[in-house]
Amino acid sequence: MNATSANQTGCPELKVPAPLFLGIGVASLAENLLVVLAVIWNRNLHSPMYAFICSLAAFNTIASLTKTWETLMILFADVGRLQKGGAHETRLDDVVDALMCMSFVGSFFSFLAIAVDRYITIFYALRYHNIMTAWRTRLVLGAIWTTCGVCAVLMVRFFDSNFIMICFIALFVVSLAMICFFYVYMFMLARIHARRIAALPSHGGGRCGRRRWRRRSARGALTLTLLFGAFVVCWAPFFLHLIIIMACPTNPYCECYRSLFQLHVALLMSHALVDPAIYAFRSAELRHTFRKMLLCSDCG
Amino acid sequence: MSEFHNRSESSARRSDYVWQYEYYDDEEPVSFEGLKAHRYSIVIGFWVGLAVFVIFMFFVLTLLTKTGAPHQENPDSAEKRHRPGSRVADGPQDEHDKVFSRPLLAGSHSYFHFFVNEEDLGHGTHAAEDQRAGQDAGPQRGARGRLRCVGSPGMEDMEEDVEESGGHQPLRELAEGSTTDTECAFLSHFNIPNFVNWEHSSVLGEDDLYEPSVVLEAQAHSRKAHCDIH
Repeated sequence: MNATSANQTGCPELKVPAPLFLGIGVASLAENLLVVLAVIWNRNLHSPMYAFICSLAAFNTIASLTKTWETLMILFADVGRLQKGGAHETRLDDVVDALMCMSFVGSFFSFLAIAVDRYITIFYALRYHNIMTAWRTRLVLGAIWTTCGVCAVLMVRFFDSNFIMICFIALFVVSLAMICFFYVYMFMLARIHARRIAALPSHGGGRCGRRRWRRRSARGALTLTLLFGAFVVCWAPFFLHLIIIMACPTNPYCECYRSLFQLHVALLMSHALVDPAIYAFRSAELRHTFRKMLLCSDCG
Repeated sequence: MSEFHNRSESSARRSDYVWQYEYYDDEEPVSFEGLKAHRYSIVIGFWVGLAVFVIFMFFVLTLLTKTGAPHQENPDSAEKRHRPGSRVADGPQDEHDKVFSRPLLAGSHSYFHFFVNEEDLGHGTHAAEDQRAGQDAGPQRGARGRLRCVGSPGMEDMEEDVEESGGHQPLRELAEGSTTDTECAFLSHFNIPNFVNWEHSSVLGEDDLYEPSVVLEAQAHSRKAHCDIH
């Protein structure tokens, strides 16, 4: 009796209202679908870089779609229309979980692909078109989608085992480290060369050039921080949750962390909302395509 | 019947991890008595650590931009400008040695030397011709024909820059011969095609109604107006 009352006065589960989940899901679905359609529609955007951005947007679309679907299923289950333990619902739930896992893993691989592509663009610029041919791009994309599909099925079938969860967490940490390395290396080298160029006497004055260079470098730092900050803030809480499920299921402190599960899933979904702003919308060509698509629907 | 029970139990257990509403089916009672620290200490510690990490990363990146003043480089480049014809062959190597004298970039040394060799072999004759054409002697035009100076965007919009360079078939645009000014040549001399024209990257960001070729030409014209080279 005392234990149960203490359990109830412990950490109550934080419930995120369903309309918020639905709102985030629908908004991120619309955004990412727009990106996918824009890349497919505009022939100028049929290049490896935009292909990877499109793949990222496609994975985010699947993630937001499945999460919205799951929220609706839970709503119906609460209302009583769906049976929580039924075989049909469980199979449907498995499909939803598999798709969500696939989209999460796919997002990681897409981030990695985008970072590697940018790295090759900068450091192997002269041979970029020989290294990143259309055939290789298709191969990489096919490999990413196949791997994600296989991973998803495996993860859902064997989710009980800790090994799968450890693999998932290890994938996250490795992706984060590699993305960090690529971008910081590119940033440092860009800074060196921009500083060198700002030092040119023909470049409109030393002081003026230096100030300009510093301002540009500071903005580059802000961009990078935004990129990483969004990735880490949105993904790390969920992964810490997975680690805590495995490591300390009965610890009260861990229990209090686990009570925020819905907030962490909401953060995960909001990353799908923020991704187009970080990757896709920064391209002038893509923004131009959006405007043409949305405002001028008969411009063909 | 027992196997049906087992199946539903295992599926219920599996769904505990996913269906958040079912997660707290009282499987193991957690006792909250005798807690030394605050209940949410892991949560607070995690978010504080995350905020510190992000802010630390931002400060490190910003500090990287502030270290090293560009005026240190001025005497060297001024000296180079006064020696017009003597540095066709060894100019690129000297420039690159200065750029890569930092130990941080020891790894990239090999990449850029590879580029330097490619450039010099391919465009040594071009450099000689251009020098005779009466351009400013400091800039080396060795790599002029091979790199995209014009459409190269700036450092603060790295993603946009890299997308622009990757998405618009740089070699084809180069063949059209849009890179003719000396600043462009001097910048291309460093073999960094994408971080060169950062001065006018705001044009690329804001005027997104332009087609890419129009943007390139606008950049070339505006750069000529801004920087008095001749």
